[in-house]
Amino acid sequence: MSVPLAGDSARGWSWKRFVVFAIIIATVVLALGARLFALQIANGGYYAGLSRENRLTLQPLASARGLIFDRNGRRLVENVPTFSIKVRAADLPLSQRQAVVQRLSVLLGMPAADIIEAVDRAASNRFDLVRIAKNAPEDVARIISEEHLSLPGVEVAVEPQRRYSYAPLVSQVMGYTGAVTREDLERLGPAGYLNDDTIGKAGVEASFEEILRGEYGMEEVERDARGEVLRVSRTLREPVAGDSLELTIDVDVQADAETALRWAMEVAGLQRGVVIVMDPQTGQILAMVSLPTYDSNAFAQGITTADYQALLEAPGGPLKNYAISENFPPGSTFKLITGTGALQDGEMTDETVLRTAPYLSIGNYRYWEWNRRGFGPLDIYDGFGHSSDTFFYQVAGMLGIDRLAYWANQFGLGQRTGIDLPGEVAGIMPSNEWKQRVLNQPIYPGEVYHAGIGQGYDSFTPIQMLNAYAALANGGTLYKPQIVRRVLSADGSVIQEIEPEVIQQLPVDAQVLETMRLASRRVLTSYHTWNLVDLPIVLAGKTGTAEYGVRDAKGRLPFHSWFAAFVPRDPRKDPADPDGLEAVSRTDAELAVLAFAYDSNTTGNAATEIVKYFLQLHYDLRVDLRDRDLLVVDNLYGQ
Amino acid sequence: MGTLRGGAARLEQVGGRSTSGTWAHFDLQLAFYALALGVVGLLMAYTNSQGTPLAPGSVFTRGLMWFAIAMVLFTLAAAADFRWLRTFAWPLYGLNLALLILTIAIGSGVGEVSRWISIGGLQFQFSELAKILMAIVLAAYLSGRAGRLGSLTTIIGAAVLALPPFALVLIQPDLGTSLVFGAIVMGTLFLSGASLRWLLVAGAGIVAMVPMAWTFVLEDYQKRRLISFMDPAADPLDSGYQLTQSQIAVGSGGIFGKGLTNGSQTQLDYLPVQATDFVGATLAEELGFVGCVVVLILFVALLWRVLLVGWRSRDGFGVSFAGAIASMIAFQLLVNFGMVLGIMPITGIPLPFITHGGASLISLAIGLGILQSIAMRQGRAEW
Repeated sequence: MSVPLAGDSARGWSWKRFVVFAIIIATVVLALGARLFALQIANGGYYAGLSRENRLTLQPLASARGLIFDRNGRRLVENVPTFSIKVRAADLPLSQRQAVVQRLSVLLGMPAADIIEAVDRAASNRFDLVRIAKNAPEDVARIISEEHLSLPGVEVAVEPQRRYSYAPLVSQVMGYTGAVTREDLERLGPAGYLNDDTIGKAGVEASFEEILRGEYGMEEVERDARGEVLRVSRTLREPVAGDSLELTIDVDVQADAETALRWAMEVAGLQRGVVIVMDPQTGQILAMVSLPTYDSNAFAQGITTADYQALLEAPGGPLKNYAISENFPPGSTFKLITGTGALQDGEMTDETVLRTAPYLSIGNYRYWEWNRRGFGPLDIYDGFGHSSDTFFYQVAGMLGIDRLAYWANQFGLGQRTGIDLPGEVAGIMPSNEWKQRVLNQPIYPGEVYHAGIGQGYDSFTPIQMLNAYAALANGGTLYKPQIVRRVLSADGSVIQEIEPEVIQQLPVDAQVLETMRLASRRVLTSYHTWNLVDLPIVLAGKTGTAEYGVRDAKGRLPFHSWFAAFVPRDPRKDPADPDGLEAVSRTDAELAVLAFAYDSNTTGNAATEIVKYFLQLHYDLRVDLRDRDLLVVDNLYGQ
Repeated sequence: MGTLRGGAARLEQVGGRSTSGTWAHFDLQLAFYALALGVVGLLMAYTNSQGTPLAPGSVFTRGLMWFAIAMVLFTLAAAADFRWLRTFAWPLYGLNLALLILTIAIGSGVGEVSRWISIGGLQFQFSELAKILMAIVLAAYLSGRAGRLGSLTTIIGAAVLALPPFALVLIQPDLGTSLVFGAIVMGTLFLSGASLRWLLVAGAGIVAMVPMAWTFVLEDYQKRRLISFMDPAADPLDSGYQLTQSQIAVGSGGIFGKGLTNGSQTQLDYLPVQATDFVGATLAEELGFVGCVVVLILFVALLWRVLLVGWRSRDGFGVSFAGAIASMIAFQLLVNFGMVLGIMPITGIPLPFITHGGASLISLAIGLGILQSIAMRQGRAEW
């Protein structure tokens, strides 16, 4: 095909080529026009919607979290502004992910793997911000802000963070806040929780989460392609600040309790211990110490995986509040229940005398007195005062397991107290029904003996034991232990008084309770706990030496030490009442206190030393009555 | 290549008019359409100045400056006798290669790319100028081969001429501009009357080389762009993101658009490079279907006037040069606007007159000025 050139027309150029050229141009323009029509007119509405979605987005407005004060108004936690580093996965191209993560890793000094894990953890929506680091230093935050062009999808946010002023002193009670988990979100998503939200994880922070958090607001904002908010197009809902709490805890009492417990644990080399102090007239907790413990601030600042792992594996288990979250055999502290039950059921009177012996026999089994000699004939006062096991074996035998269980339950043992803290466990009080259900066996007679002295299957939390003794001290009212007593508004005014809550009035005559209070006083006056005799404070209570586990080479078992006690109002010893009998016959006790030393194995009862030192500090006694010799570990356990 | 000089000499003998030409034959329509498109470009520069169009150094003020320079160069090019271009075709060719080599040597760009040279703080893309220089050299060559245009040697000769600048642009690398070179060569050869059979063979050969080019020539980012054009969901954050956002911008413009400076896709930066490569999306979003149709009509009218200058010209130079300019504008319109509309892959080819960029506008002004010079000096055709 040869196209004639010259001579084709007057001008010599092929008009056909011009026509074809023009047709090609027309085709191109028509194709573009058709596509424009398809996009702008046929589907204009669809794309307008996409454009609107691009531009406008709903953004939650965080509410200020409520504060927490102690009973004297001391602020235990405050919200301080800190820099958080966040990533919006949708804005971080996969191709740049490696480089961005590397850079952040260097800047923040955290492993790249942790960053990737944090981004992927809450990846339910790629458009949501995920916090990868909290509490970034200001200079690092500034560098990241300035490098935003090379760090796509990375944002610096100023966020309030909890700062606990009295951590770790009150950490077990306060708990801490931390990042929500996926499980939290599945549960709480409808309540407006966000992917990068914080939530109360333990303690009061967790149990009062709803009150502290307040209500998040919502606004519609216009944002540009980088996710930067340009303006608020409208506010759909204003945030409502969370309310504040006033605890029943007194940090001074808490500090004294912790000092006493820490001292004894250090001297005896113990791993775990608990001290709880309660106002027996209201059930309000004045101090609750569980050692070892942790620092709430470590969590609030964003604990690293390694640090968290270390806490999980630390000896003693510092993350657990042993005052409420684990049950232990109560030992002789349980004799309060056995004695009260038998008196109230009429199995005995306060004049009944029982013969004690080196041991009692059932068949071929011997049930030994703790001193292996016996105390001769005893009434309830001396049986309790000397903590005679053979006395209480007989009393338990009179009652039988189901009446024992009945009375234990009346005192709140073996069931949750309902304290306003998370993680409380119920404990175990055996009965015929229980043993049949759990072990598919009947209760054997010897097990009734053991149950009557707080051994065998008996297992309760320290808070339950204290609460039982508080009911004894106040004349028979079993209160729900209470940690929070007021809800305050942001300006400090009282929104709600949380009144003491009565679980029940014990079905026990006042006279019986008075008998048991006098018997509790006899524990000291009989010199059973001779190390407490010199206290210028009237004190009554009961020790417990709770054996558990496996015998050592000399046939001795490891044991926990308990001491549950109460202090009457105006407790200074009165010459007119030299034995303090008048004081403990009253029902106006001002303190109930419990000490628990886990696996103590000491020559003396470590718990009594802890309570003594606490009272010495609390009442500012200006004498040092501590006896370190009693804290020497004397069996093979713990050495 | 003695033919170049010989051709030039022959045209001197044939050309009968005075070298100053006659302004009575100045093509007012061509100038008007070009001016109108330039004004649309200024509107786009205005809306893409992020709220401060009058600030020194804004897209708009720079656009105004380039617009003024382009007007001056257009007038100068029209006033000059285009026939001198044939005399200086070889030096111009040398200058072209020199500028492109310079670009690779000292140029800058985004990443490992050398596309611009900074002159007094302004970036200038010499490959744009190279298109016009290429058109001049090609037209001079083809007009010198009158009578032998149908032979294979003409096509080979044109290819040999085009290859060095094509290669220099390709290794910058700038695939888009090198494709424009190809379009200019093919369009010019076609309109000038080269052998259709051999053009088809050459076209088939180019298609056959695509797999080789994919393996050995294309950079990874270029491959990604091609893949995401075929499947935008494959990489929704990078090139697929650009495609998606561009189509949202165009579609949400609707019939009348959101109004100048009111396009949310443009003003909130959802659109990528909205002042340059994706300026068409801004146009479509803010001025709507009506605005786009007006712009397309302006392009059609301009191309019609360009072809008319060629049709009326008395020798091969005018035909070939008009063919080159028309091919360039039409190809860039198709590829750039097609990209914005999602029917062409992403390449960095500017939309003539409307994409913000001095080199592109100046090159167009010079090219159209030369066309005016041809129109003024070769009289009116009878139709």
